[in-house]
Amino acid sequence: MWRRLGALVCVPAQSTRLCTSVPRHCSGRPISGGRATIFALSSGQGKCGVAVIRTSGPASGPAVLGLTASRALPQPRVATLRLLRDPGSAEPLDRGLILWFPGPHSFTGEDCAEFHVHGGPAVVSAVLGALGSIPGLRPAEAGEFTKRAFQNGKLSLTEVEGLGDLIHAETEAQRRQALRQLQGELGQLCQGWGETLTTALAHLEAYIDFSEDDNIEEGVLEWVDSTVQGLREALLAHLQDARRGERLRSGAQVVIAGPANAGKSSLINLLSRRPVAIVSPEPGTTRDVVESAVDIGGFPALLSDTAGLRDSPDLVEQEGVRRAQDRLAQADVVLALLDATDLASACSRHFLETVVTPGGPSTPSRRILLVLNKADLLPEGMQPRGPALPPHLLLSCKTEAGLEAVLASLKRELAAVCGDPTVGPPVLTRARHRHYLQSCCEALGRYEQSRTRDLVLAAEELRAARRQLGYLTGQAGAEDILEVIFRDFCIGK
Amino acid sequence: MSCNPSFGGIGKGHLMREVDALDGLCSRICDQTGIHYKVLNRRKGPAVWGLRAQIDRKLYKQKMQEEILTTPLLTVLETAVEDLLLMEPDSGRPGKCRVNGVVLEDGSKVYAESVILTTGTFLRGMILIGLEAYPAGRLGDQPSIGLAQTLEKLGFVMGRLKTGTPPRIAKDSINFSILNKQMPDNPSVPFSFLSEAVWLRPEDQLPCYLTHTNSRVEQIVNENIHLNSHVKETTKGPRYCPSIESKVLRFPNRIHQVWLEPEGMDSDLIYPQGLSMTLPPNVQEQLITSIRGLEKARIVQPGYGVQYDYLDPRQITPSLETHLVQQLFFAGQINGTTGYEEAAAQGIIAGINASLRASGKPPFIISRTEGYIGVLIDDLTTLGTSEPYRMFTSRVEFRVSLRPDNADSRLTFRGYKEAGCVSQQRYNRASLVKSFLEEGISALKSLQFSGYKWKKLIPEAPVSITKSEPQSALDILKYEEVDMAMLAKVLPEPLAKFAECQELMNRLKIEATYELSLILQQQEIEEVQRDETLQLPKDLDYLTIREVSLSQEVREKLQSSRPQTIGAASRIPGVTPAAIVNLLRFVKTTKQKEESVHKLSLSNRYLSDTDRLQKIEL
Repeated sequence: MWRRLGALVCVPAQSTRLCTSVPRHCSGRPISGGRATIFALSSGQGKCGVAVIRTSGPASGPAVLGLTASRALPQPRVATLRLLRDPGSAEPLDRGLILWFPGPHSFTGEDCAEFHVHGGPAVVSAVLGALGSIPGLRPAEAGEFTKRAFQNGKLSLTEVEGLGDLIHAETEAQRRQALRQLQGELGQLCQGWGETLTTALAHLEAYIDFSEDDNIEEGVLEWVDSTVQGLREALLAHLQDARRGERLRSGAQVVIAGPANAGKSSLINLLSRRPVAIVSPEPGTTRDVVESAVDIGGFPALLSDTAGLRDSPDLVEQEGVRRAQDRLAQADVVLALLDATDLASACSRHFLETVVTPGGPSTPSRRILLVLNKADLLPEGMQPRGPALPPHLLLSCKTEAGLEAVLASLKRELAAVCGDPTVGPPVLTRARHRHYLQSCCEALGRYEQSRTRDLVLAAEELRAARRQLGYLTGQAGAEDILEVIFRDFCIGK
Repeated sequence: MSCNPSFGGIGKGHLMREVDALDGLCSRICDQTGIHYKVLNRRKGPAVWGLRAQIDRKLYKQKMQEEILTTPLLTVLETAVEDLLLMEPDSGRPGKCRVNGVVLEDGSKVYAESVILTTGTFLRGMILIGLEAYPAGRLGDQPSIGLAQTLEKLGFVMGRLKTGTPPRIAKDSINFSILNKQMPDNPSVPFSFLSEAVWLRPEDQLPCYLTHTNSRVEQIVNENIHLNSHVKETTKGPRYCPSIESKVLRFPNRIHQVWLEPEGMDSDLIYPQGLSMTLPPNVQEQLITSIRGLEKARIVQPGYGVQYDYLDPRQITPSLETHLVQQLFFAGQINGTTGYEEAAAQGIIAGINASLRASGKPPFIISRTEGYIGVLIDDLTTLGTSEPYRMFTSRVEFRVSLRPDNADSRLTFRGYKEAGCVSQQRYNRASLVKSFLEEGISALKSLQFSGYKWKKLIPEAPVSITKSEPQSALDILKYEEVDMAMLAKVLPEPLAKFAECQELMNRLKIEATYELSLILQQQEIEEVQRDETLQLPKDLDYLTIREVSLSQEVREKLQSSRPQTIGAASRIPGVTPAAIVNLLRFVKTTKQKEESVHKLSLSNRYLSDTDRLQKIEL
């Protein structure tokens, strides 16, 4: 039921009937016997020192073994310190406490495990990602732990009483979030994939239900095959775009850009708290890209100092400017730096027009933080003079005045880019996205395998694929399939 | 059979197998009266094979009547029912009154514990041909008006649906020699689990013929659309195109199939499937004769449309009893369905439950995890329908598990134990088959060899010889190229005994094909069933109940659908997760209260015992 609840939540206005609306296993294939094992971040809202990630279900034991790379489970109900590793790459993730609760003596009545890890977003996201990669595990839907506890007779009445409101609150938040995401690029992609998949499935279902009574046009199956193949390729390409999912682990790209001599290298040194770049009053000092990995408010970021953007006869500097442009194109966040005393210069104006407020439809959707450096050189109480400026911050790399505000803004931008698992579900959401897209992709792969064997099994895989996508876009049902069938085919006797 | 001269089809064949598994009659009668048996969808996997047959209309009627009239303890009375006899409701059950019989046309009364209404297209039925319209339930039969008024007065929400039937053509006026001929299957596959074979050899069966519409047909429809009130009106017909008019209007510039089907062994009528129409008779003739092979065709009876009342099926429970009137059951087109098979499926469930209800036993309900019948009834009772509801396999979530071949394993045992509707003979047979299949599967699983060995045993099997882990005979049987006979030949010990009966060999092969999917679906089925076991109180008034916090919108939805379980409630569109949780809490509270009341009554008994004890001491 709860699986369907998730669906209701995503698109509350839509009727959620269906075929697909009944609960389904959703992580690829659950391990033998029993139901799927669920996991979720279960520590409270807000940033905290320790985050608790919980699992429930028969694969909880394998999950503990997988993450601790050990052969024996820890002693039940005793906190044990362990190094957690990614089960695939064996890369260390964190050192944390593990609690193992074999069922039925656990919160849900099933085998449960708790991972107490450091509360930083990168760690939490890495552990969630590692759990998602273990067969039989999938992210929990809202209220699912409680539902299992309820089904296994583990909840007292008062506990259940609070649940309705909780679910309501959670699902409200999820719905708002789903709406937010649906306005984004990924949402649009998912929506598009969902429609393609629905049409493909509808045509296949039409072929199964009607092709002999009625003349379903020739070529329907071929069309479905090529559509599924195209869709699978699109999903694979998307999933392989690792940067999107890995930002939190490897750090978001923060590119410091600006005209020559605005103080970019001073800023990277200031943010890194060490001299990573050479600073000189000479314009064009930095010619290559200088990188520094930093932690800003719990978010890992990869700072890049780039060559000042200007036309230069120097070949090496020209190459540096080209690399700066490349880097700018990949940036998650751009720290656009200008000299507060030099805003009227052609260089500054050109930078403002081309990088900060370029306008036009081809504008990349990256985040820009405009910072005016050398505020200490401005006359006391004077605003910088120059063209009308977009919202900006004043900073002096020299006196460090304004640094707090820049850091706070940067943290906000990073939180938006990476998602912050401690203040709500965006990171969970992205883990969910990946998880369901991956499962969808796998089902499409199995479609291709079973296609020549048995059409019903092939359709079963498309149904599974659609269900996976449905967790992201809102479930659509059998009724929607029939809708497409009757729209596209003339059927009836 | 008042419309098409055929039974079964894709999805519909599944329903017939399930009706048969519960010892319903239509499958057995069809095995004695078919004149062209053909399984549809042979190439698409056994889960969607569609058993279908052309049936001899006259013979079917005769055999069915024989069977019914010789059923012990059954009295048959043929007349029109005008009204219902009603009395005070049983307290403690929902419903504003209780039915206790019917009033016949002549005013006489028949008393009954339970009443089932199967009104077909007769409730305020109206026949339409061209611009003409007159009241009739079927060509030549009076409609039922008094009953419709009674139901309306009782407060049932009613709607209107339409359907149609094609003209019948004289067989000797058709030029079959220029048309595509379709031969029946050889051998024929019977509908019933009890039939070893059908009554007629394939070579004695009749062929069907295929022809197509053309641009001339389209032109005639377009030129005469103003003469057609049935198609223009707003009454809901199905979204699939029932009539040639709507096919032409919705999908112009195409040709459409027309199957020419025999109506009986010695019938001189042909039923042109695909040509339902309500044009004026002279235009019908013009249209028919413009089709290849029908140039000289003679129309014996024109096609016509029927419009009729149906009752919103959200007003009935999954046992098909109405919420409003106790002991009153509905089945068939009155619930908004179309088709003989959909009607039969409801008929058997209504019959079983009317009888269980009369004897005070709990209802017999098939869940959507158990059968197509369950999907059909759950769809109707939780979602309602606004067009004639037809069964499609795409409506069924557990399609791999709910197959025509295994309907007996799914339903016969429940029918025997819970409903008492299954004969001993059928029960014994189903038990035998079930244990045979279980034995066969475990024998197949236990035979494990390397890919190399399998390749040597059965060179036809596309086994990978490089795979290191051993594969079971069940894995090998999955391959299209392999069948049970081949396995039994190379491994007579222990497989020979499983290769004695073709039907059982086929069933083992099907089980092997779907084995993996079946395991996965079983988990999902259990998940759904967990929700289905959480019963909601039947007499809950969702509009006024205070203990559950629900929005007005959700209250109205629940009130009109009256779901019986948490599972059903969560399938109603618009019922939110929060509402489900609140309902869940309510179910739990009620359960606890009941338990404590139960305990209280126990302790009361103790009390009275001690009272007595004290008295004795005194």
